[in-house]
Amino acid sequence: MHGNDRHQRQETGQVEALKAGESSAWKDILARHGPALLAYAARMLGDRGTAEEIVQDSLVNIYHTIGRFDGRCSIKSWLYRAVHNSAIDEIRRRRRYVDVGTDVLDNYFNEAGRWEHDCPGWDGPVPKRLDEKRLLTSVREQMDHLPHAHREVLLLKEVEGLDTEEICAALAISPGNLRIRIHRARAALRAAVVGG
Amino acid sequence: MVYLKCSNVVSKISEIIDGQASLMTRMRFHGHLMMCNNCRRYFEQYKIVKELAGKVTADDLPEDFDHVMEFVMNKIENKDA
Repeated sequence: MHGNDRHQRQETGQVEALKAGESSAWKDILARHGPALLAYAARMLGDRGTAEEIVQDSLVNIYHTIGRFDGRCSIKSWLYRAVHNSAIDEIRRRRRYVDVGTDVLDNYFNEAGRWEHDCPGWDGPVPKRLDEKRLLTSVREQMDHLPHAHREVLLLKEVEGLDTEEICAALAISPGNLRIRIHRARAALRAAVVGG
Repeated sequence: MVYLKCSNVVSKISEIIDGQASLMTRMRFHGHLMMCNNCRRYFEQYKIVKELAGKVTADDLPEDFDHVMEFVMNKIENKDA
């Protein structure tokens, strides 16, 4: 049996157990994905307390609506989608949603497609005057201040490590759209960290 | 070989890093980098920041999921939510 087939069978069995309301299956899935879901919500909301409430309510809601899960995506994507939608609703309700402004890439090039000015920031493979620890702190801080549309794809891809299929299902977007959004988000993060 | 403009090169970086670019695109991309200091610099910065973004995880994972778990499992086991 291929690994994928085995995984598929395990997932099907697990979903049946979840739909049957088996508490051991729920405990298992919460233990496996819960901490990462909470971390994701906390970084999206920027508020740990609210994130806990959002995740609690989302998971309870998932318990009530698991009968509607049709297996077109993984259970992991389904969980992320629920938490993501609740987090975005809460961010919008609080009027804290940060829209993506002008694409940073628009400002770099002239009409001929060449650099308008020299590329800002450090030169060479290793940043001068910046050790990796300080740079990592900066990346973390800047990620938490990116517009939400950038932040969500970076968190899911780079931090949570979801694959393309899982992210597309969680955010209800196409792979082509994700590819563009990932690039813009990474470019925005680079600009924020480098300062230009 | 078709020449890539700097703006094209920058737009291909994510595909290159994620291993999604074709061989021809990779050859044009790296050929351009050899000649263009600005694109080379941008690529290095982008790559470093992308790699560091992937290291944000570990020390940020919440330690106290337990009481969220307890809340949800109480709702599930009591079926009173």
